[in-house]
Amino acid sequence: MFLHPAILSLVVGSALVSLMLVHACIVGARILSRWDLQNGSELQLSLERRTYLVSTIMTYALGFQLLSLFLFIYTVDHLAVLFVGAMCAAGSLNANSWGYPTLILKIINFLLAGLWLILNYTDNRGYDYPLIRLKYGLLLLITPLVAVETALQSAYFMGLEPNVITSCCGTLFTSDSGGVTSGITALRHLPVEAAFYSSLLLTLALGVRFYRTGRGLAPFTLMNGAVLVSSVLALMSFVSLYIYELPTHHCPFCILHGEYGHVGYPLYISILAGALFGFGMAAIAPFRKRASLAAVVPRVQKGLTFMALGFHGVNFFIVIAVASFSNLILH
Amino acid sequence: MIQVRDVRKVFNTGRPNEFVAIDGVSLTIEAHRTTVLKGPSGSGKTTLLSLLGCMARPTSGRISLLEREITSLPERFLTDIRRRSFGFIFQQFNLIKGITALENVMVPAYPTGERYSSLKRRAMELLELFNVGAKAASKVEWLSGGEAQRVAIARALVNDPMVVIADEPTAHLDTRLSREFMEIMGTLKANGKTLIMASHDPIVHESSVVDGVVEMRDGRLV
Repeated sequence: MFLHPAILSLVVGSALVSLMLVHACIVGARILSRWDLQNGSELQLSLERRTYLVSTIMTYALGFQLLSLFLFIYTVDHLAVLFVGAMCAAGSLNANSWGYPTLILKIINFLLAGLWLILNYTDNRGYDYPLIRLKYGLLLLITPLVAVETALQSAYFMGLEPNVITSCCGTLFTSDSGGVTSGITALRHLPVEAAFYSSLLLTLALGVRFYRTGRGLAPFTLMNGAVLVSSVLALMSFVSLYIYELPTHHCPFCILHGEYGHVGYPLYISILAGALFGFGMAAIAPFRKRASLAAVVPRVQKGLTFMALGFHGVNFFIVIAVASFSNLILH
Repeated sequence: MIQVRDVRKVFNTGRPNEFVAIDGVSLTIEAHRTTVLKGPSGSGKTTLLSLLGCMARPTSGRISLLEREITSLPERFLTDIRRRSFGFIFQQFNLIKGITALENVMVPAYPTGERYSSLKRRAMELLELFNVGAKAASKVEWLSGGEAQRVAIARALVNDPMVVIADEPTAHLDTRLSREFMEIMGTLKANGKTLIMASHDPIVHESSVVDGVVEMRDGRLV
């Protein structure tokens, strides 16, 4: 393992988050089995007090979980210089078999942690703890995933050997490399561009409609999912080409480098945050019928919709900007 | 109006110095009436007042205000209920030194976001009502005991609460000022306020303003 400050931060941070989640799960298990708001017992009142503490601790712990995705990407990107053949995070992640599973799990946990924070935010605005069981149920799902992620991340960092020969992104993200990525890079640009722009514009239109009228939740939610998929496809299919100004380089990680203005970070943040706010807006929708949330849910949904639209807009404008200012002409 | 169901309050639970301040108290406080909690020092009067006024949470048991259960409420809701439903008059008055009587009266209303001019006008009206309008610009450390208490009463009323809670309100007053205080309480009651006081002063619990006396000892109702 390299004694790199970012690696130590990630390993220690993830271990602490896992421990805090385990503690929260112990409280959560008692809440799920013993919670009864009608009861004035000492146990019930102590659970009510304890849930404030757990909620506050989890807000910080899962907040770190959100940031740790980008810290992980930043770290593995900067480790590339240590491996023969690696030019960016793609090579570092490929340095042993735990890199990509860690990244995938980090993305899943990013979305789940974000959803939990949205549920917690909504629950804290209801006077009778309306989402408490759902909140702690989700925490019981997140905890093992974060624990596995911590184990995978530790295995990845501890298994890194300096000067190991790894693959360059130029060989990993080509149409000849095999697997899902080769399928994506082999896609024709024009249909992907059409799918990306049309799904994003339709989502923005549906989002504005939902924001103004509160109608059209289902299509807006579906389109949020479509934007997530089409953005990832677009990134590897044509956006990366415009950024690198090379017709064959599809790497989704080199765009994080300073020579490309670190454009990858705002792009990834806008894609993931747009999807998260969109899904979060839909996740709380079923609870608007509860008396204590009747006024809260529409207000929170409006805020989440606004954020989702903002991040989708950033995504749209970054892609438009890189396509407009690129010296590469694809069509 | 306020229902207390089997409430216990234990301090330092599970430690050698565990202390049961309130032990299984149940009672009902009627609206628009004056209730006095009577008992010796350490009987739990102040603790019960703080539980009724949402300033502390019980260890077990429930308290309802206007049929709404309030002990389980998250803090953000409790703060609002405390601000809008209860006005507090403390034994030591707890006025903030270094600022004027008028500012002291206005302080509890600042979080409501009311316009400064209308709040100032209302605070002045309250000070005038209790004959301390002339002292509005005086710092509170310059006030006499009687004046300080009137300012404290005005402060308790600035958010127009349903319930006024007073903890040993006459402890630092002489007989004349204590009777004056009870007259003011009579006026508040006539204006529809619910009054809850903790006191072992006979001037308070023998006053005609008082409708019910709840006697306490060792954290229980006698």
